[in-house]
Formats: sequence, structure tokens, C-alpha cells
Amino acid sequence: MKLKAKLLLVAMWVLTLLVAGCSSSSSTNEEESGKVVLKFLHKWPQPEFAPYFEEVVKEFEKQNPDIKIKMEAIADEPIKDKLRVILGGNEVPDIMFSWSGEFSRKFVRADAALELTPYLNEDAAWKDSFIPASLQPFSSDGKNYGIPLRFNGKFFIYNKEIFEKYNLEAPKTWDEFLDVLETLKKGGETPIILGNQSPWAAIHYLTGLNQKMVSQDVRMKDYNPGSGEFTDPGYVKAMEMFADLIKKGYFMKDANSSSHDMAKQLFFAGKGAIFYVELEEFADADKNMKGNWGFFPMPSIEDGNGSQNYITGAPDGFIVSSKTKYPEEAIKFLKFLTSKESALKLVEQIGWPSPIDGATNPDTALKEVAEGVDFMKQAEGMAEWLDTDVHAKVADVYLTNIQLLLDGSKSPDAIIKEVQDVAKQVQSELE
Amino acid sequence: MTRTFRNRRTALLYILPALFLILSLVFLPIVLNLYNSLFRWNSFDAGRTFVGLEYYIRLFKDPVFYTALKNNSLYAIISLVFQVGGGLIIAAILEDKLIRRFQPFFRTVFFIPSVISIAVVGLLWQLLYNPEVGLVNGALKAIGQAEWARSWLGDSEVAIYAVVAVSQWQYTGYMAMLFLIAMQKIPFEYYEAAMIDGASRIKTFFNITVPQIKEMLLVGSVITVIGAFKVFDEVYIMTSGGPGRSTEVLGTMLYRSAFRNDEMGYASTIGTVVFVITLTLSLVQLKLGKSGQEV
Amino acid sequence: MTAKSNPIVKTDNVTEFRPGSPKLSMTIKNRIFQSAVLVWFSIFALVIIYPIIWLGLSGLKSNSDFFLNTWSLPEEWFWRNYKAAWDAGIGQFFLNSVYVTVVSVITVLLLGSMAAYGLSRFQFKGQNLVLILILSGLMLAPQVSLIPLYKLLQGFGLYNTYWALVLPYVAFQLPFSIFLMRSYFLSIPRELEESAIIDGCNTWKVYRHIIIPMGKPIIASCALLTGMNVWNEFMFALVFVEDSSLRTIPVGLMNLRSQLNTNFGIQLAGLAISALPMIIAYIIFQKQFVRGLTAGSVKG
Repeated sequence: MKLKAKLLLVAMWVLTLLVAGCSSSSSTNEEESGKVVLKFLHKWPQPEFAPYFEEVVKEFEKQNPDIKIKMEAIADEPIKDKLRVILGGNEVPDIMFSWSGEFSRKFVRADAALELTPYLNEDAAWKDSFIPASLQPFSSDGKNYGIPLRFNGKFFIYNKEIFEKYNLEAPKTWDEFLDVLETLKKGGETPIILGNQSPWAAIHYLTGLNQKMVSQDVRMKDYNPGSGEFTDPGYVKAMEMFADLIKKGYFMKDANSSSHDMAKQLFFAGKGAIFYVELEEFADADKNMKGNWGFFPMPSIEDGNGSQNYITGAPDGFIVSSKTKYPEEAIKFLKFLTSKESALKLVEQIGWPSPIDGATNPDTALKEVAEGVDFMKQAEGMAEWLDTDVHAKVADVYLTNIQLLLDGSKSPDAIIKEVQDVAKQVQSELE
Repeated sequence: MTRTFRNRRTALLYILPALFLILSLVFLPIVLNLYNSLFRWNSFDAGRTFVGLEYYIRLFKDPVFYTALKNNSLYAIISLVFQVGGGLIIAAILEDKLIRRFQPFFRTVFFIPSVISIAVVGLLWQLLYNPEVGLVNGALKAIGQAEWARSWLGDSEVAIYAVVAVSQWQYTGYMAMLFLIAMQKIPFEYYEAAMIDGASRIKTFFNITVPQIKEMLLVGSVITVIGAFKVFDEVYIMTSGGPGRSTEVLGTMLYRSAFRNDEMGYASTIGTVVFVITLTLSLVQLKLGKSGQEV
Repeated sequence: MTAKSNPIVKTDNVTEFRPGSPKLSMTIKNRIFQSAVLVWFSIFALVIIYPIIWLGLSGLKSNSDFFLNTWSLPEEWFWRNYKAAWDAGIGQFFLNSVYVTVVSVITVLLLGSMAAYGLSRFQFKGQNLVLILILSGLMLAPQVSLIPLYKLLQGFGLYNTYWALVLPYVAFQLPFSIFLMRSYFLSIPRELEESAIIDGCNTWKVYRHIIIPMGKPIIASCALLTGMNVWNEFMFALVFVEDSSLRTIPVGLMNLRSQLNTNFGIQLAGLAISALPMIIAYIIFQKQFVRGLTAGSVKG
């Protein structure tokens, strides 16, 4: 009996070791069978999105029997940390998700991302199929490093029923916006729903406000880690405008302890009038509100120094590892992902706006999504997400402090002062 | 002692595998950490720049470092009061002859939270603290204390206490169990003698119970205090250091520097400082407890 | 330390010899004390049990039910939430956790008991140094090693494998196990092994046939403590593995949260699935568990 128990233990141990041995060597087996294995990392493990990628990969593998795609997905919040760790490792995925702007540029600076300009130039038809504004944020010094998958913009959506109750219309200017909020508040509604547990939600407001308050040249200089100073008074003013919304009580209570997703449920339940969301969330809104909603871009600000004809938003997509052994195959897969067929499928199946010209139209997409994309096409430019468009350390100062602004324990002046200090530090470190 | 057991080579054969693992995976990293803290580097870039002690200077000027230190200390002090102090009282009461027949039930219930993984506990409490759907505010309203309700994890003034409270919820029963076990080893005659003398409960507690489990108390305190400076999981899961930096502890500060702000050197500096702090605390406590403890 | 008798026997004796006092002698003061304590403890027990029950029940609710009726029983019992959570990855995470825990615990017990044997039975120069070295491993915060270990694991190509978890877990759990086992082994009388040696046994046989069987209680409690720690470990698991197919439960749950961000029912079902086995196992093995801890707490 005792002996048996011991033997069982030993057997279990040996077995588990064997399993470990097998599982770690399984990936090499496929390479031996003559197939090219591409590691593909994206950020949509959600059950509503993952099937799309599985289907596209399956289709690609069917058309290219000599290539095998090993797909892995990490969700939005964790991927911000994980991508850095992965890129430092030995088994870097060949194709991986990245936001555009500084987030991808830091990988470019570290020579971790492959330059894609030659591949784009080689195939003019491919290059021209993108809406130009969607490729640009993925470039650095005129060279392309990323291929966009989605073209995302940020818009305010509102509850039509509530707006009609107070005879309100979608505001065009910031003053009109404030009037609308005041009316809603007086009527006893919660004017704006905000879930700021992960502080990017409030930072998206500031993305637009910064862009509208600070002139383009100054802002671009400041967002560049090598020359950022953030001394323009527009930065403080932008933050004060946001603080003003807080002070007047336009946001829902306890915004810091609700997640964006939880807040979304509140909006859908009619517990607030306005909510700031991304274009990709439109489909969800329509499913839950059944036509009882409309949208408008961030209103223009009269005394702002920046262009008032920008839209907050950015493309996100994929970069290719500079360590990849199969650049040709990786490009082939990216071309497949951004082909017209895949793009149409993307728009129809999961309702995301595609950067492929013409893919997002009223036939394929929700009417509002198509309109949103039109807004972006007509815009002078895009204000890219503040938290991915500035150096990670500057973004961190913005992100952590915006929560303190919301709970009233820090002032805009103090925050911008901190931003300036960190920007200086970053600058000195890059020299 | 036979000669067989004086053979050094045989002895080392038994010890070496464990020693090798400990040296290479516990001690070597400390040295590497010190070395790494002298460079500016990040995880995805091959290059690194020597910066000397720059990061140490920056750390001691960094207000967040002091927030973290304060929060770790709060963790330690509150945990000492509730887990060690509270656990001790709970254990003593459970051993009281009037309560003892209820002991198995309460002992079992109080211990339950400590078998649940911190990840589950953290995610669960995040929901319980939620002002919209959470039970905490709901319970406060139910007992007529609606004005106490607040946005627990979203208010930089109270968030750290809310996070610390979860640890108390989870581990007070664990500590009580440790003390209970120690108390059950106290010979009954001691209590009998006290009873004949007519000593009160409180007197018996201080004169017999506490001195008799002194060593377990010390072990419990060491575990608690060092644990407070190692804390990472519950903070990372519930608040990730926010709102702002108000709940940052050394562990989350290190993680943020390394994997969010791309400053591996700074993170290594924090790691080295954590090492110095925990080592000092352990030595102090070992010294304090030397009287009773022979290792 | 040497005079202590077997704690397990003692626990049982003590309970038998300490019956509650006769009701007659209960004074008013005692009665008040008893009621006050019972009220206090019952509230504390409620504070502990209620959230756990709420967790299990909310896992059975649909999303809107969860939002609108926080306190009540589910309107409709969504058993499929549990299945959905299991399919969404909890199943895989569960197996990974079991695998990592089993391998780590067995390795710790084997290497730890050998080292404890070497340190408790042999006498050699430098013994104290080795002992202090191992014991000081007890005091180190794992954060300190996070980044160098991550670099080391990458350097050896172990990053993102099971070994990236097992090896650090073993190294960090060994000191405490060695500490406990050594103390216990020291209290095992030496006469037996001395006669065994005279009979021609070698040290390995002494270890196998005398030390291990005699040290069973402490080995069991080490298994328990190591198992609990490894099962719940979060930070290393967060950084050292990448693929979802390798994730353990704690990190898997975190990911599940960001993955199922809009479905709280499934999220809570996932939490319940991860918590319940440990709670049920604890309640079933409660007695043995307490005994194990009792044995483990024998002072060194």
C-alpha cells in the first residue's frame, strides 16, 4: 500500500515532467514539417471579436498551405505591459498588435520594428487602398512601420429620449456643449457618464482638448520625447476646461471607481445623457439602445489655438518584428488581413471601422459608423490618443493625475508642472 | 555520533541541490539587481547606459517613493493591530471555556478567506466596493449609515484603507488559527491554578496566555511585517496603485517602473531598496526575539 | 523544544479534558460575556461568509439581473455562466495551476527534506554558514528578484515555459520548508539510525527508511503550505509566462476580467470556480489541515 502510494507519486512526477517536455518541444515539430510558422499576437481575446480572427487565419492558412499562423491574444490593459516584455524575449511574435504614434515609435527607436516602406512602395495598389490618414500615424521620419487594422475615432453619443425631453440638440461649440450640460443638470439628469477606473477614459477627453487648445506645431514638438516641454499655456487651459466639467458636477458620481465597461451599462440603462466612446463601440450602442441614440464629435473651442477641424482618434494595427525570419510571409499575411474582403468582413461581422477606403460604407456598416468614418475622412487630421502618443513616462503622469483631478485632490497647474518636469527628464535621458 | 555523519562530502551531496537553486535563483538576482540598478535600460532595447547612482538619488527625491513607504508602513501597522492583536484576542476567546463548544465552527469559518487565492479575493472585493453594485455601500445603507457610503477605491483619501481592510478580512482568521494552535499546547494546570486564585479573564490572558505563546506571537509578527513590505498582488489587482498614486506600494511602484514606464534600472533600484528594508526589519526582529528563539 | 510531545496527540487530549463548565455555575457576568462574544463572532462570520455566497449566486445571474438586483436571488438561474467561464479559459488555467503546483511541491519536498537531513544529521565545517545562507532566503521579498530572474529566464530560454514558474517557486519555497523540516528532524531520536549504521546501512538508507517515515507529519504540512503558496502566487506568474495556454488561475482570472469586461455573470462564475474547490477541500480536510498546521508550528 505504502509502496504503491510512493510509486504513484513518482509516476505522477515523471508524467508531469514528460508533459512539460512535450509541450515545450511541440512548436519545433511543425517547423520540421516544412511549414513556415508565423507567430501572430493581437489584443482581442473577447468572445465577440476572437472568432473573426480565427476565421481569417483559417482562410489564410487554406490559401497558403505552407504557412501556419500561431495566434495569441492578450486583452487591452495587460498588453500595454506585456508587449514590452515580449519584445525583449527570444521568441518575439513575427506580427504583433501596436497602437500608432509614440507607442510604436519607441519600438522603432529600439530597432525592434521592421521598416515596411519598401513593401508598401513595391505594391502600390495595396498602399493606395488605405485612407492616407490611417498610414501616417504609423510612420516615423517618413518611413512606415505599421499597418492599420482599424480606424478608430472618439465621439460623444447621447440618449435621444433624454435630449428630446429637454429640447436639446447636438452641440457644435464648447459653449453650446456647456449649455446642454447645464440644462441636463438642472433637470436632474446625470449629464455625462464616465468610468475612469482605468484612467485612459478621462485622458481621451484631454486628447481632444489638448489638440484644440494648443497649436499643431507646438503640440507635435511637445509630444516628441526628444523636444517635449509642455510650457504652452494651452495645456493648463485644456486641463482646466476638463476640471471645470468636474467642478460643475457634470460627470456621474464616483467615476474613479467604475470601469468604462460598467459605465457603459449605466448609459445603456438610460442613467445618463452623454457618454464618450470610440467608433468601435457604436455597434454595441445600437444593439442596446435600438436607435435611441445619436452622436457628435468633440465641439469646437472658439479661443483654441489648435485646428478645430480635427477628430480625436487613431488607427491601430500591427507591426512586424525586426527579428522575424520570414518578412515576406508576414507581409503576405498582413496583406490578407487588410484585403478588401477581410476588411468588409471586419466591418460587417464586428462593426469596426476599417481603414481600407470604401470598406466602411452604409451597406456594410451601421449608418452611424459610416458617418463617423466620413467625419474622419473630412477632418484635417487626427488627434491621437494622448496616452499612446507621448512618451510612456509623460503618459503615466497624465494618467495617474487625471484621477486625482477627478476626486478633487490636485489642481491643473500642479499636474502640468509635473508633466513639464518629467518631459524635461525624458528629454535629458534621450540625449 | 558515528563517523559516517562527519563526512562533509556526503553531507553536501544532500544539501547541494537545494542550496544551488536557492543561491542561483534567490541570491544571485540580488547581486544582479544591484548591478542592473546602475544602468538605464529597458526590456526591448539591447543598449544600456551607465548612470551610476543617479537612480538612487532620484528615488530618494521621488515623492511617490515616500507615498509607497507610508502605505507599506500603514499596511504593517494596521495588520499588526488587526491580524496579530485581533487574531490573538479571537483565539483567546475561542479557547475560553464558555465559547469552546462553538470553537470548531468559528475557527473553520474565520479561516476560510485565507485559502482563497488573493486574485479571487481582490477581484471580488473590487466589486464589493463598487459604489453602484457593491455590497459595502448597500450594507451601510441597510444599517442606516448611508453617509458613510463612498467611492471606496476611487477616492484617493480612503482607497489605501479600503485595500488594507481586505487583507485584514482575509488573514485575521489565519493568525487566530496559528495562535489557537499555540494556545492548545499550554498545560491546563496553569489555567486551573489561575482559576483557584480567582483571576479574571483579562488577568489570565495577560499572565498566562500571552507569555506562553510569546514565540508564536513573534513568528506571527515577523510574518505580518515582512508580508506588509512584500505586498503586491492585492494592490495591483484592486487599484494598480491608483487613484493617482495614492495606493502605490513599493511592489507596484517597481512593477510600474519596469513594465509601464520602461525604466528597468529604476525598478532595479527600488528592488534593491526593498531588499535593504526587509533585511533590516528581519534582523531587528530576530534580535528582539533572540531571547526565546533558537534557530 | 525537545521536551514537547507530539502536538497532534496533545490537541485531541486537550479538547477531551476541557469540557464546558456546568451550566449551573454560569453567572450573569458570564452570560453577558458569552452572548456578546457570540453576537460579535456571528457578525464577523457573516461578513466572511456572505460575500462568498454572493459570489456564487451572482455567478448565476444574467448581466442585467446582476446590475439591477444586486441583493436578491437570481431571477433565472444561469448555470451556463459556469460552463462559459470554464470554456473561456478557466479550465485550462486550472489544469496549469494543478500541474505547476504538483511539480513544485514534489520538488520542494524532495530537495528540502534532503537538505534538512543533511543539515540536521551531519556535522561538518561551514555547516552554520550554509544554514544561515538558506534561512536568510526566508526573508527576501520576491519583488527584489523579479527583474533579474526575468532576464535570467530569458537568457536560458526558459521564459514562457512551465519551468519559468516551477524553478523560482521551488527556490523561494525551499528555505521555509528546510527550516521547518530541519527543526523537526532534530527532534527525531538518533539511537535508531546509529544502530542502523552499525548494521551497515548507508546514509541514503537512513534517510529513506528512518527520517522520511518519521518525519511524515512535517512533510505533510510543508506540502500543504508550499501548495497553498504556489497555487496562489501571482507576481511571477504575471511576468514569467506569456501564452494563455500556460497561465495559472490567478493571472488567468485577471485576464478574464479584461476579456469578459461586459459580462459580470461569467466573470463572477469564473471567480467562484477558482475559489470553491479550495474552500470545499478545506472544509472536508479541515481536521487534517489543522493537525498539519499544528505539526508545522513546532518551534525550532
